[in-house]
Amino acid sequence: MPEITKPAPVKTPDLPKILMLGWEFPPVINGGLGVACHDLCIALSKYANVTMIIPKSNPDFVVKNLNLIGLNTIDAKTLRNIGFAGENYKKLNKVHYIDTHLNPYYNGKTAGNQPLDLKSQYLKSVQIGNETAEVFHIEDLYGGDVIEKVTVFGKLAAKLACSLDFDVIHAHDWMTMIAGMEIKAQTGKPLVMHIHSLEVDRGGPNSKGWVYQMEKHGMEYADVLMPVSHFTGKIIHDYYGIPMSKIHTCHNGIRPVVPFKGEKLFKEKMVLFVGRLTRQKGPEFFVDIAEKVLEYYQDVRFVMAGTGEYFNPLLERAAQKGIAHRFHLTGFLNLDKVRQLLSIADVYMMPSVSEPFGLSAVEAVQFGVPSVISKQSGVSEVLQGSLKFDYWDVQRAAQYVLALLNDEVLSDKIKEDAYKDLENISWDNASQTVIAGYKKFNLIQDKVTS
Amino acid sequence: MPSVCFYFQVHQPFRIKRYSFFDIGKDHFYEDDEKNQIILDKVSEKCYLKTNRKMLDLINRHKGKFKISYSISGTAIEQFEKYRPDVLESFKDLAKTGCVEFLSETYYHSLSFIFSKDEFRRQIEMHRAKIKEHFGQTPKIFRNTELIYNNELASVIEKMGFKGILCEGVDRLLNGRTPNYLYQPAGSLKIKTFLKNYSLSDDIAFRFSDRNWKEWPLQADTFASWVHQIAGNGEVLNLFMDYETFGEHQWEETGIFDFLDYLPKEIMSHSDFDFKTLSEAADSYKVRDIYDAPDFISWADAERDLSAWLSNTMEKEAAKRIYALEDRVIKSENKDLIEVWGKLQTSDHFYYMCTKFWSDGDVHKYFSPYDSPYDAYIYYMNVLADFESTIELFYKDKKEAKKLEKKKESVE
Repeated sequence: MPEITKPAPVKTPDLPKILMLGWEFPPVINGGLGVACHDLCIALSKYANVTMIIPKSNPDFVVKNLNLIGLNTIDAKTLRNIGFAGENYKKLNKVHYIDTHLNPYYNGKTAGNQPLDLKSQYLKSVQIGNETAEVFHIEDLYGGDVIEKVTVFGKLAAKLACSLDFDVIHAHDWMTMIAGMEIKAQTGKPLVMHIHSLEVDRGGPNSKGWVYQMEKHGMEYADVLMPVSHFTGKIIHDYYGIPMSKIHTCHNGIRPVVPFKGEKLFKEKMVLFVGRLTRQKGPEFFVDIAEKVLEYYQDVRFVMAGTGEYFNPLLERAAQKGIAHRFHLTGFLNLDKVRQLLSIADVYMMPSVSEPFGLSAVEAVQFGVPSVISKQSGVSEVLQGSLKFDYWDVQRAAQYVLALLNDEVLSDKIKEDAYKDLENISWDNASQTVIAGYKKFNLIQDKVTS
Repeated sequence: MPSVCFYFQVHQPFRIKRYSFFDIGKDHFYEDDEKNQIILDKVSEKCYLKTNRKMLDLINRHKGKFKISYSISGTAIEQFEKYRPDVLESFKDLAKTGCVEFLSETYYHSLSFIFSKDEFRRQIEMHRAKIKEHFGQTPKIFRNTELIYNNELASVIEKMGFKGILCEGVDRLLNGRTPNYLYQPAGSLKIKTFLKNYSLSDDIAFRFSDRNWKEWPLQADTFASWVHQIAGNGEVLNLFMDYETFGEHQWEETGIFDFLDYLPKEIMSHSDFDFKTLSEAADSYKVRDIYDAPDFISWADAERDLSAWLSNTMEKEAAKRIYALEDRVIKSENKDLIEVWGKLQTSDHFYYMCTKFWSDGDVHKYFSPYDSPYDAYIYYMNVLADFESTIELFYKDKKEAKKLEKKKESVE
């Protein structure tokens, strides 16, 4: 069994030393958290020595030629094999993998050193050629015995942390909060919590379950909170009762892409929605907006890329409204397919009910697609070049879509302004804001001034 | 003996409502009556009534030695007529003192000079009639919307019989010279140009309440001492500003009214200094040099050019579309169409569409009744779409009425 990695000597003693705690990490991505954590770490490594702890399972389960890579298969080797940001990994000082028997094997009752013998409800057998592989389905990442998962992760991370040298603990979202609190309790080091998403976003303002309690407790215990938007900062204050004085907003960045123009195989214009089909993303408003727009403008198709529990109801809703001939649900699409859609879209629509950031709208900007986005999103704070509406205001959103479809001057102008916004949306900016936050709250010494 | 010329701009636009795409063809009333009334009420209480009272008091107290000039846009006067006759009365009281001059401008506070000289002249005539009606004066001095100005404008205005014209004292055109003399516009013979001394004007209009300004809090005697410094190197000191400076942009709490109360006395404490209306100054002083403004200048934003109204594609498109209607509208000879068209020309509509977000954007945002410049553009273009179809409908009806008449004739 692999040993817990011993800390390597610190390379650059002048830089602040950050102990990061992550949950999702490429290639296991559910929503944008994994990408955000990864990209932030890479950018931050320019200004700090970053040590990252993420859950990890036995590397023996890597199956060649299998595209579906579960949580259990993540290790440095896998990441190299699938070529995911391989070079970038070298920039991280260290990525520690704890052998926790956590995901997918840990079931809480048979914790031990025999991961291979464990049975778990999260395991799934996959047959590829002659080989049988057991993998963890990413949709289950947050399901089931997750409380025990995060608790064990916390204990083990804390154990590991005792042997590490760092100035600041930097945790991401509720999954790593126990770990962050344990480490703070043991080491007395300041705890920063980076908030990408909250239970109140996902479940609505009446969420009062375990996760909510975890978040509330964690954020009260933390020294500094770094939400990805003022919008989320306000939720932290309004729904969790955390004083604004502890909150330091760090807007997300985005990876640059080389946009391309795809070929559209139909003559109508296209309005695109990308996201999970869940309450949080307001997909039903997209149907209503489509209906309203189609009353006045028929040469347009509405496309929803993504999947989720609203899939069937949305299909029915569109049929019921008699707009199914102009309404398309693609189901889940990978990044390449999403980009192909972006390359031919005329309007990007994001009617999110509660969106901590909303990176997809920035991706639309990268592809030169003018966007109509809800004010209940973090991205609306950094995109001047977009049309903004309250997610429930279907009339207004429809009006904006119509304006963009009808008026090239407006559409071009918004594209142009959004491109200018893009200059300020980068992970480098985000990591500088993080460092500025450390300094503002005196978590690290300002080496330049001292 | 140098003179101080105060000129105040009084203007209120007819703001258009959040006119949605779905209103096109159904709703032909474009103005946000409620908002216009609320804003006018607010500004009347905070600024117009109070400041007019103060000005009247100062004129009486200084026995006619304190003199000022106003330019009131036609749209502002219409709103006073409609919502606040008491404010209009207080301006009339000022007019009766003989110490107050009313200037000429385009009725709709428009950008018409840039797009149509005919429309420009039409609006000046309209405004002239309105001023005569209420204040019994015929304006002799012209100021264009937001001091938009160039040599050609001065020449056109000269030909219309005005003896003076106002503009911004732009550093790059003054090239080291002082704005405190009357100038002759390049290409004109008789007309005299008044240059705004933006430094001293902005001390009152913008910096007065700025606590980060090293001169804060500004006292009347301090300001007067700056004014007195021009003695020997200037004849006409032009302090031009929005009238809303008093009580609205600079709230009463900042002490702006007390400042104003002491200012005439402090300025006249130097026996060489007096106050003049612009016409009096034009009669009293000769031009000293030529002011050459081949390109458009204005008093707006940091750029002092047309960029506050016509820098982005939305503004240009909207302006192009509204002025493209001139022929159809004027030839219709329909009073309502002509009036709506005029009101849609008010420069504020374009000002709200401005996307120079960074430093000046804040000022645009402060004045805008909309959430964003895109909204301003979208509502305006929706209104325009409805207005265009109304014009077409008018012509169609007219044609059909003619046909009907002919039919009747032939039957008879």
